[in-house]
Amino acid sequence: MIFLQVALKDLRSELRTKESLNASLSFAVVILLLFSFAFDPSGEAVAEFSGGLLWLVFAFAGALILNRSFARELPNDCLEVLLASPVSGAQLFLGKSIASFVLLLGIELLCLPIFGIFYNLTWTPRFLPLLGIFVLGTWGLTILGTLFSALTVNLSLRELMLPMLLYPMLIPALMAAMRLTTILLSGNDIGGDDLVWLRLLVGFDVVFTTLALALVETILVR
Amino acid sequence: MDSRNIQFMFWGLAVAWGLLAIYVVMLAARENRLQKQLESLKRMLEEKQ
Amino acid sequence: MEKNIRIGIGALAGLLLLRNLYVILFNLPDEMDQGPIYRIFFYHLPAYFTAMCCYLAALAASVLYLTKRDLRYDAVAMAATEVGLAFAAVNLITGMIWGRVIWGIWWAWDARLTWALICWLVYFGYLMLRQAIDDPSERAKNSAVLSIFSFVSVAITYKAIEWWRTQHPGPVLSFRTGKQLIDPGMERMLYANFLALLLLAIVMVTVRLHQETLQRQIDGLRRRAHAL
Repeated sequence: MIFLQVALKDLRSELRTKESLNASLSFAVVILLLFSFAFDPSGEAVAEFSGGLLWLVFAFAGALILNRSFARELPNDCLEVLLASPVSGAQLFLGKSIASFVLLLGIELLCLPIFGIFYNLTWTPRFLPLLGIFVLGTWGLTILGTLFSALTVNLSLRELMLPMLLYPMLIPALMAAMRLTTILLSGNDIGGDDLVWLRLLVGFDVVFTTLALALVETILVR
Repeated sequence: MDSRNIQFMFWGLAVAWGLLAIYVVMLAARENRLQKQLESLKRMLEEKQ
Repeated sequence: MEKNIRIGIGALAGLLLLRNLYVILFNLPDEMDQGPIYRIFFYHLPAYFTAMCCYLAALAASVLYLTKRDLRYDAVAMAATEVGLAFAAVNLITGMIWGRVIWGIWWAWDARLTWALICWLVYFGYLMLRQAIDDPSERAKNSAVLSIFSFVSVAITYKAIEWWRTQHPGPVLSFRTGKQLIDPGMERMLYANFLALLLLAIVMVTVRLHQETLQRQIDGLRRRAHAL
């Protein structure tokens, strides 16, 4: 269970400084507000783009957190020390993914009520299925994002390269999560034809978690 | 069938050939540039030695 | 010697392409519902298959690099990806022109089209990542991992027309449907043009590989020049 300790370490250091937490939360809220100028936030159609809007905000906020995931270990060569320690690459990676996952899910759960207030949406009746979609979508985002964070950690263009690599590959998960969230926020249940999106989301998580755990060792070891 | 149908067919075929031709030209240009660099480097080294 | 083989295959590909173009334009009849525009299909689909072959070669080369750690495999992966992007661009743009006539729109956001575009972006990102890393073995390792990840989107693109109800036509070739849905003569031409484009792609990949060798020679000479 070393990966839990890695996750706790990351969470503790993040909660002490709160640098990426504050940045990405305020960034998310600002984007939520900006979107309200792009569309009519009081209109009837708001539920129909709610999922897309929320997940765009989450993806932007996520990139901020994920950028820091491995980069935070760069000062004082912490990354080298972590790699030299008996923690395996997969454990380190899983711990970091879990830490980012918890942080991002926390931000999402804070954004949801704000979103509900500003866009006049009721999200409470279907909160549990919504939470399930959030968990699945956020896991896909963080597992892929943490891997790319490891991939780009040594680049000078790190902040630019991560979203450039991450977003296109994330589209399947984002599309599925957007669609399912929209369905739930418009007051419907997921069923029938929409299950293909749920399958896609779960499949995305399974495939990329497996791939990432299998390949992360080769990335980290120099 | 409107006239656009056959017109767009020609456009489509032209694009298919054109894009590949552009890539071939790009490859050839790179080949030329690399050969030139190699030549000049070789000459430079010979002069120095 | 190697150069002569390259030129030979290239000439063969060129001749086959010209012969196919002649047959497509003058020997094959117009399609019943679509009219002449259907001829785009003879480039649209073979280009897509060629791009898939390139991506598959890139995947194989990336896996080989990670197991053998030989930079030649890395060069193969890069060359195949770059050529694959060129053919995927042919696929995307010919498809758009066809869609403008048949659907009345340039682009439809259905599963197949979206995924084909995602593939293109993802592999473009791969080339961007390569440019951003200077150290050769670091670059080879990281981009090999990215290439393996990218291939997931290729696999999804291939299956998208079965998994979703798309505006894009479903499978028509007999090896996928098990039935003869299109005229055998037209299906033969699809394969003939696929062969021609594949040969062309092979030549392009070898040329690109040769350029990588040149680049390495140049880098070596530069280092020597610096040492002097």
